[in-house]
Amino acid sequence: MVTMTAIRSTPAIEDRPPAVIDIRELEVRFGPASGSSLLAVDRVAFSIAQGEFVSLVGPSGCGKTTILNLLTGLLQAEVSGDMTVLGKPPKAGNPDIAYMLARDSLLPWRTALGNVEYGMEIRDVPKSVREQRAMELLREVGLGDFANAYPKALSHGMRQRCALARTFALESSVFLMDEPFGALDAQTKLTLEDVLMRLWSSHRKTVVFVTHDLAEAIALSDRVIVMSARPGRIVRDVPIPLPRPRDVRALQKDPHFHELYAQLWALLEYGATDK
Amino acid sequence: MRIRWTLSVLGHLLFIVFFLGIWEAASRSSLLDPTFFGRPSGILSYLWKGLIVDRTLWNELGYTLLAAAISFLGGSIAAVVTGLLFSVLPRLHRAAEPYLTLLNAMPRIALAPLFLLWFGLGIGSKIAVGASLSFFIVLSATVAGIRGVNSDHLTLSKALGATQRQIFFKVTLPSAIPVVFSGLRLGLVYSLLGVVGAELIAAEHGLGQTLAYLQSTFSMDGVMAILLLLAGLGLGVTTLMNRLERALLVWQ
Repeated sequence: MVTMTAIRSTPAIEDRPPAVIDIRELEVRFGPASGSSLLAVDRVAFSIAQGEFVSLVGPSGCGKTTILNLLTGLLQAEVSGDMTVLGKPPKAGNPDIAYMLARDSLLPWRTALGNVEYGMEIRDVPKSVREQRAMELLREVGLGDFANAYPKALSHGMRQRCALARTFALESSVFLMDEPFGALDAQTKLTLEDVLMRLWSSHRKTVVFVTHDLAEAIALSDRVIVMSARPGRIVRDVPIPLPRPRDVRALQKDPHFHELYAQLWALLEYGATDK
Repeated sequence: MRIRWTLSVLGHLLFIVFFLGIWEAASRSSLLDPTFFGRPSGILSYLWKGLIVDRTLWNELGYTLLAAAISFLGGSIAAVVTGLLFSVLPRLHRAAEPYLTLLNAMPRIALAPLFLLWFGLGIGSKIAVGASLSFFIVLSATVAGIRGVNSDHLTLSKALGATQRQIFFKVTLPSAIPVVFSGLRLGLVYSLLGVVGAELIAAEHGLGQTLAYLQSTFSMDGVMAILLLLAGLGLGVTTLMNRLERALLVWQ
């Protein structure tokens, strides 16, 4: 564990394409403005390039969801530092951003098709376009035959597929996903991760993926940012050099995958006890 | 499935025949005084006469149903409008809440004498009592329905950039409808209750008035017959609302 003391976030690489998400010296405090406020996020800095898939992992309370919610513009908190999405400060309802929650949050009075259309409807996509696009995406996530089913008739996995379709139908360039598969059982989770990988490789979005599941983070991401317990700091920004396209199920037996898992696990433990 | 259903219907029929038979026999011997309890044959002959021979009961039934329908529609439309207004103007809601709680705590049937004075012996006072009951039931259901909106749906909609108006019409309103509906179902039953209650106190027409008259003349067969009719009416009204709900809310 001695080597761990030297860990810092990876220095910015100069020849990278311009960042889609750029966070510098971010500090977030909650509670009263006076001295008694709680430091939730401590000097976090990272940037994400176009088309990159980056996961934020860390113990609960490490501020990963806080960072995501700040990027959506929904969270109002005392913030210092700099944060931009496509060069602009975060703003709620930004059409460049598609947000996906842990729970499917499908509207129960709409059919699967209606739910996929919902996001586009709010963003004023014309009716004819959105119907066609929604149908295409439902087929892509394997729900082509369930377009007219109401959410109550769908299983958890199917509902989350539908939520994935709704998110991708927005055609936003940045995806913010907050533990989208956190409520699924292990098998369904692997299947949904595969669905996500397929969609991601054909649509190529920039993704920030919050999870506490290391295996999931490694299987999906180009980089995994490991955060420490509160106040959340970056323990290390780890590149995941596994070749793409990836088969999530096959990866479970890949020795390289397990090495990365062990490495990240050590970092996570280190972050949890670094007090 | 079919056989089990037939058996269950047969069982119920057998039970009812047995029950009525005992009642009839008891009232014909000296076990049960028909002056207090009536007897099934008398009840049936009263219904037969009132509904089929001289048809006088239909008229009374019509008065009661009309008053219940008007009081339900008036009360619940006012309640839904008020509930929606409260959701748009939460300050108004907070200001009005104590008064509404006070009004709702009042036993409404006790207001009937007052309403009789204000709105007369006719249908007006019956509508007032019925509406005063259904209004509060539907109002609290509407408020609860709007409050019960799923916060995930709101978060998602805000992240998508939905306007307040879009959120209201596409999320809040549809999610409140099932709760409002259960309020409506209860409100309808209570409208009927309020109307009959007011008719019992003083009226020119209606099943409640008929009931009061029959009771004061010790016609127990008639009293039992009207009670049976009222129970059937309540059942019919609830069944109708359930059917309507199932047809309208297929997604539930």
